[in-house]
Amino acid sequence: MSTAPQQFPYVARDPSLGNASLAPLLPLTLFGSHSIATSGLVDSGAAINVLPYALGVQLGFAWDQQTRVVELSGSLASVEARVVVLSAVVGSFPPVRLAFGWAQTDAVSVILGQVNFFLEFDICFFRARGLFEVRPKQ
Amino acid sequence: MSLTEVLPEVQSLSRLEKIRLIQFLAHELERDDGDLIEPGRTYPISSPDRAFTAAAALLQALEEDKGQS
Repeated sequence: MSTAPQQFPYVARDPSLGNASLAPLLPLTLFGSHSIATSGLVDSGAAINVLPYALGVQLGFAWDQQTRVVELSGSLASVEARVVVLSAVVGSFPPVRLAFGWAQTDAVSVILGQVNFFLEFDICFFRARGLFEVRPKQ
Repeated sequence: MSLTEVLPEVQSLSRLEKIRLIQFLAHELERDDGDLIEPGRTYPISSPDRAFTAAAALLQALEEDKGQS
């Protein structure tokens, strides 16, 4: 498996906004008891990774069996979240273990934040060029 | 029309017309920038930007996960 940096394009989240809505959305596959191909917002301002509720269910997690409750902040401050740990594959990189705050809402994207996405990967943003670069930690 | 084609014509303008051209270009650039964020539109920000206690809990969960594998 490769550990050379891989580049990904910024993606328009709202076609009506065009350039103003470009965001670093990273395609990745999450593995629970099922695997799901999805994409996550690479968000250096987020303290933690966040998993929306429906995606957690699709991955096979049962809400009541997750006993570690965590508090989110920002616009998610009122949303209950529980800790889940799962495997993820980005591009052709080796799989990593990612911990998520599994939020009890679907009004949020998959967020890839400081703990622990940014502990596993080095990221360079080239917003003016509309791309970002990812590589496993060295 | 390319910049190379326009420049000779710009050079032939009077001083006053050049100043007006600068003002016009500055206005155009400002308008382009303003289009990036539209007034009245909602721009959601969902970053849990101060969830440090949650971050500590996730790190603890990862340590436990590492111990199990």
